Amino acid sequence: MDDERLAQTFVELADTLVDEFDLVEFLDMLVDRCVELLDVSAVGLMLVDFRGRLQVMASSSENIRLLELFQLQNDDGPCLDCYRTGQPVNHPDLASADDRWPRFAPAATEAGFRTVHALPMRLRAEILGAFNLFHTESHQLDSSVTRIGQAMADVATIGLIQERSLRHHETLTDQLQIALNSRIIVEQAKGILAERRGIHPSEAFTLLRDYARNHRQRLTELAAAVVDGTTTATELLSTTRT
Amino acid sequence: MTDRSRADRVWGAITAHADKLGVPISLRVLCETAAARLPVTGVAVVVPGGFVASEPICLTGPLSRRLEELQLTIGEGPTLEVLAGAGAILVEDLDALVYQVRWPLFAPQAVRIGARAMFVLPLRIGAVRGGVLVLCADCPGRLSAEDLAEAWVFAELTLELLFDEQDGIGLQDGRPVTSGYFETRPEVHQATGMVSVQLGISVGEAFARLRARAFAENRPLSELATDVVARRIRFAHEDTG
Repeated sequence: MDDERLAQTFVELADTLVDEFDLVEFLDMLVDRCVELLDVSAVGLMLVDFRGRLQVMASSSENIRLLELFQLQNDDGPCLDCYRTGQPVNHPDLASADDRWPRFAPAATEAGFRTVHALPMRLRAEILGAFNLFHTESHQLDSSVTRIGQAMADVATIGLIQERSLRHHETLTDQLQIALNSRIIVEQAKGILAERRGIHPSEAFTLLRDYARNHRQRLTELAAAVVDGTTTATELLSTTRT
Repeated sequence: MTDRSRADRVWGAITAHADKLGVPISLRVLCETAAARLPVTGVAVVVPGGFVASEPICLTGPLSRRLEELQLTIGEGPTLEVLAGAGAILVEDLDALVYQVRWPLFAPQAVRIGARAMFVLPLRIGAVRGGVLVLCADCPGRLSAEDLAEAWVFAELTLELLFDEQDGIGLQDGRPVTSGYFETRPEVHQATGMVSVQLGISVGEAFARLRARAFAENRPLSELATDVVARRIRFAHEDTG
């Protein structure tokens, strides 16, 4: 692991946390950094909502998001086990995990993943969700990687509480509700862009994210402006079909 | 999971209340159930009005009615702020300085008519705004985490019933037909955006068109949405009814 990069990432995360920040973007950044730092193929993050259902809040790629959704829809998979027990779940070879996860294991293998590690996100006694690392090769994560992964999961948890206190909200429930709604606005904006430009929603997401980054705009604010039709981002909304 | 049963518990209470009254499930039944289960005095469902800022479409208890009338008359207050786009506003004591300063006209008068706490939750699916759920109490105090989580479940069910009532869709098998917006696949929300461009309408209207079509074709909303996203189905002006 690159120590310099690790230090840099924690500085970046700390910088984000002391300022006002966008939870959705923060979690997106966190999963992207984890892929890089922990040398895994993909990372997903699930949080529990006010009804007690897990929701996919961030994912490093579209296929991992689909795989996370697959677990939720089929009620089967390591992330759910991790959330329910509050304990880390490791499986170094998904090809031999059909007994344990009859629906998830074949789906994950088909998607090209061999290894999964799920780490709990906890706040004192409460389990808020799970942080999931996937690898395309059969792979045993060494303990230093797992420790850093758990630290990243803890930082994500701190991010949740932090944003709440900055906005003077009373509960985490409320905070998650806002983040979930922001996620939905981003999906709606993806649909609008996809239709305007004749592209797939996942390409639309890349456009949105890149535009937000290049213009130092918050992703969720940009998405809301796209949906409301108030954005002046004409290049983003250009109706020329490719 | 215990969590899964929170929604079921709430729905069970609403169903039981409807059965006791011998009436079908409606917003009124939902509001009355919320008022009975949560430590509040009154419950209101308020939507954006056509000519006015807010329009209560369901109220339980005189305090709820007076609070909504007051805000509409004065033009300030938590209901109006959440309707205008703010996140949930949880006021544990209207008599506290912070709220007296925030709403200098509304807060003192609200206290005078006997209100002390207000919890206003937005009814929203992304950028689609349905209205707000307003809980009020005649004594100060916060909602416990469990009560607040339950209030959010009531809010979600309110939104489902509200949409179904607006669409003229009744209950099927005792549940709202289009239930589960929040657990649906992201395709539902992507399709909403796509249909809004296809028809040149707002996301709110696009979402209504999607729901109406799913209902008319008797298929799950998520399935129709998947077809829209895959571009197997396109909404055109002539076939939207």
